[in-house]
Parts: sequence; structure tokens; C-alpha cells
Amino acid sequence: MSSRNRKNGYKRSLYHFLLWVISILFFSPIVWMIICSFKTREQIITIPPKWLFIPSFQNYLDLFDMFNFSKELMNSIFMSLSAVMIAVVVSFLAAYSFSRFKPKGTDLIMFMLLSMRMVPAAAVVVPIYLLYAASGWKGTYPGMILFYAMFSIPFSVWILKGFIDGVSERFDETALANGGSRMHIIFKLVMPQVKPGLIAAFIFNIIFVWNEFLFNYIIGGKKTATVPVGLAQGFSAGMAIQWDFIATLTAFYSIPLIIFIFFFQKYLLVGMTFGTVRGEV
Amino acid sequence: MSDTTTANTIAQTDSSTWNKGWLRGLENPKYLQHMLLVPVLIFFIVWNVIPLFWLVGLSFYKYVLVTGEPLKFVGLHNFFEIFNSFEIWHALSNTFLFVILGAGTQTFLGVILGFTFWGSKDLPGRRIALTLIFTPMIMAPLATGSFFKLIYDPVFGILNFFIKGVFGVTIDFLGSSAWAFPAVLIVDTWMWTPFMMMMTLAALGSVPKAELEAAEVENLSWYQRLVHVVLPHGKFILMLGILLRTIDSFKSMDIIFTMTRGGPGNATELIGITLYRQAFNAFTMGQASALAIISLLIAISFTSIYLHVLKKKEAAA
Repeated sequence: MSSRNRKNGYKRSLYHFLLWVISILFFSPIVWMIICSFKTREQIITIPPKWLFIPSFQNYLDLFDMFNFSKELMNSIFMSLSAVMIAVVVSFLAAYSFSRFKPKGTDLIMFMLLSMRMVPAAAVVVPIYLLYAASGWKGTYPGMILFYAMFSIPFSVWILKGFIDGVSERFDETALANGGSRMHIIFKLVMPQVKPGLIAAFIFNIIFVWNEFLFNYIIGGKKTATVPVGLAQGFSAGMAIQWDFIATLTAFYSIPLIIFIFFFQKYLLVGMTFGTVRGEV
Repeated sequence: MSDTTTANTIAQTDSSTWNKGWLRGLENPKYLQHMLLVPVLIFFIVWNVIPLFWLVGLSFYKYVLVTGEPLKFVGLHNFFEIFNSFEIWHALSNTFLFVILGAGTQTFLGVILGFTFWGSKDLPGRRIALTLIFTPMIMAPLATGSFFKLIYDPVFGILNFFIKGVFGVTIDFLGSSAWAFPAVLIVDTWMWTPFMMMMTLAALGSVPKAELEAAEVENLSWYQRLVHVVLPHGKFILMLGILLRTIDSFKSMDIIFTMTRGGPGNATELIGITLYRQAFNAFTMGQASALAIISLLIAISFTSIYLHVLKKKEAAA
């Protein structure tokens, strides 16, 4: 009996070892990028690669000395937070209405919202570009923030409607029967119960705006450029590519995302599927 | 029962705060249901409906943005031109190849990985391991494209260092028309295999434990378990995963934009890139609008299929 256990334990360790190897393999390109961010420009383009070197934080210090980078980083943070805040509040109200009152056209609007997110970005941006160029909204903060809010709404409505559907209508009915108003049913009874949905909507929209590039590149301007736009311009500047700068920037910019994934892992599934699939991973 | 109590207390404590003034009018569900929708509808109309009409209108015109020429009505000419354009057919077939090969490989590998990780609940540091695996899919595609450019570099890229060590040759992955497409596909696969793995895990998680235990007791072979126990429950989530992957890779853009810009030649040209080029390099907005409408129709049909499967899943659950 004990020998069988030991054999099983051995198998189990081997299995766990295999799983860890797979995980590290997937992460290895990112590890390489992080290693490069601690090298000097000459060390990065040395072949054979230098495996042993004295890591230097100079690249990171240089990053913040660049005037554009700090501004772009502030833009990334400011625009993703404000756009998503607007989108989540607005979507929550709409999701409540869709879930509880099912007004005429609910299915159609839900369908249209989802389709919006399935269209190639370049197709979405053509008419918006013309609209923004004509109205003078191109390259302004309100223009960009409202656009990002609009783009975060479909996702948020879908996620939140799913969660509100999961809250029994008996709550609403009981509160109403006891003289509670709709407003506080919405904000005090339902809202606290869909907190996971709000978190998921929040996190995944932020990730989207944080990573977004094409819209900002086309309908944004110098003033509203986020880090990905700055990165793309670094490539097309026509000079030799500054790999130290690119490695450092991508490593630094990815840190918040990796932290998100660690802490909010259980929301990843619901977040990547518009709230249509829920469960354990 | 406790639901009722909570609702009661909250209702009593501050029912007065909301129940006065203009807010009272909101109490009538007849108005409230529409009032709640107003903000979203404003967004929807200003940013979706109006641009959509504009798009449809423009697709019937010849409109070149920078020349200052007046709009010229050309009827369906833009659409005919798209159907006759070799460039667009090439981009479309590239896109479908990209979607089929990409989503196919990712599903295949993702399912294998999903089954491998099934029952790994006791893995030490599981959360960290999964964070490592899931990171590729939430990285900024632009960042991913950038550092893969470094990895693929023919002169000082780490990949070519290994290839040279083993095969003695150097491959200019992104610069040769034979290699560029597979090279981009590999990056896409690296990014999205974790997604299919996650969907597989979710699908496996949706199989009721009791049925798995029953299969264990009845000593079914792994094939019988797969067909009679796992698939009937798990197939919907897996299908939703494949569909989402299909839609997403249909709209791939950022990765290619950084790595190859559709080149060399038109080896990695996908429909999104063509659309971008028509609108913002050539500024032929009329034709770009026509192409945008076609991709919109494709997206709408994908969405319908997605929702169809979703309904089936909910009916089965």
C-alpha cells in the first residue's frame, strides 16, 4: 500500500513538474524581453547573446527622462480610468433596464452592441474619423474618452446584464412592496450583488483601453497619444530602432497587466467571453 | 427568507431619501425603463447609428479625402471594384487562411493543454503558473509585435542564434515572403493558445462531477467517457471559444501592423490592413466605406452564429 502511494506521489510530482515547464515555456519570450530591458543597447544586439551581465536600471531611469513617455503614460492611465468609469456606470443602468423591464428592442440592441465589437477596428474607425475630423473632436480628450467609453459599453452591458439576470427578482419585488424606491433598489440592493460583474467589466475594459492602439493612432492627436501610439511612432521614425528603449517600455507597460491577471484570475474567463461563459478555470 | 429581511430594513431606513421631488416621476416603470437606457442610447446613436448611416451613404460615392474633389455619386461601383480587385481577394483569402490555420492550431493545442491541466487543482503555485500562461493574451498586441520583431531579427535575434547553432542557417523571418506569414501565425498562436486552453478548462469544468464519477464506476474507456460524458456537456463552451477566436483573428490588425505592415509585398496582408491602407494611406474613403460595410456584414453573421450557439448552450444547461 505504502509503496503504491509513493509511486503515485512520484507520478504526481512529475505531472506537476510538466505543468510548470509548460507554464514557463509560454512565459519565456516575456522573460527574454525583461532580461533585455536590463541590458545596454550594445548588449542587446550582441551575438552570441550575453547570458551573464551586470543588470542596469539605467533604461528605466532613461524612460522617465523622456518627456513624451511620462505624458503618454499619464494619458494611458487617465483615459482608461475615465472612459471605463463612464462606461460602467452607464452600462449598469442600461443592463438593469434590459434585465428587469425587457423593453421593446432589447434583443436587437444587445445584438447590435455585440456586433459592434466583432467588426474589424479599421472598419469602425473610418466613419468615426470622418465624424471627428468634421466636428473638430479629433485629438481632443473628450473625443477620445467618449469614444473609448462607447467602445467599452457593449462589453459592460453584456457582462452586467448576465450578472443582474442572476440576481433574483424577488429582491426587487420585496423592496418595492415595502415602499423602497427603484433608485435604491438599483444602487443599494442590486449593485452590491453584482460586484464581481462590475469588477470584471472594469478590469477588462481598462485592459482594452490600455492596450488599444489603432483608434488612438487615427482619431487621436499628439496631445492624447498613449504609450502604444508612442511605441508605434518609435518604430516609424526612420532611425535605427532603439531596442533598449522598446524592451524597457514593453516590459514596464506590461507589469500592471500581469498583476491584474494574478489577482483577478477568476474574472478572466467571464471577461474574455463578454460574460457569456462563467465557471472555474 | 433573509433576502426579505435585508430588503425590508434597507427599504425602511431610507425610502424617504429617494422618494421626493422629480425622482418620484422615475418610479413609474413605464418611464424608468427608458430613462435608464438614455445614456447608452445617446452613445449608441452618436457613435454607432449616425456613423453607420454615413458609412452606407459614402459607400455609394467616390470620395478621396485629400484631393479636395467634390463627392461624386457612383452607385454600386465601389462594390464592383472590390469584387474585381485582385488585391482584396488576395487579402481576403489570406485572412481566411490566417483564421483557419490560426484558430485551428490554437484550438488543437489549447484542447491538449486544457486536458493536461485538468485536475491540476493541487499544483503548487497554480495561480502563478496560470498567470504565466495567460499573460500572452492580455499583453498589448503592439508590445508583443515589437519584441517578437527583436526575437525574429536575422542579425541579432535570439531565435536565429539558436537556429544558426542547430541548422547553420539564418532565416529572415519577417523579411522573406515565404516565412513572414508563418512567423506572424506563430506569434498569434503563442498569444491565443492560452485562451483556447482556458475555454477547454471551462468546458471540462462544466461536466457534472456525478457523471464523471459514474463513468469511473462503470469503468468506461477514455474514448467512451469523452463521447458520452465530456462532450455532451463541454461542447458548447468549446464552440463558443472557437467562434470567439474566429471572430478575433478575423479582425487581427495590431500585431501585423507592427511586425510586417502586410509585407513583404503582400505576404501578410489581411483585410483589416487593406482597409486601413485604403482609408488612411490612399484616402479613398468611398471605397474604404464599401469594404467596411462588407466586413460589418461578415461580423454580423459571425455574431448571429455566436448567439445561436449561446442559446443552445443555455437551453441545454
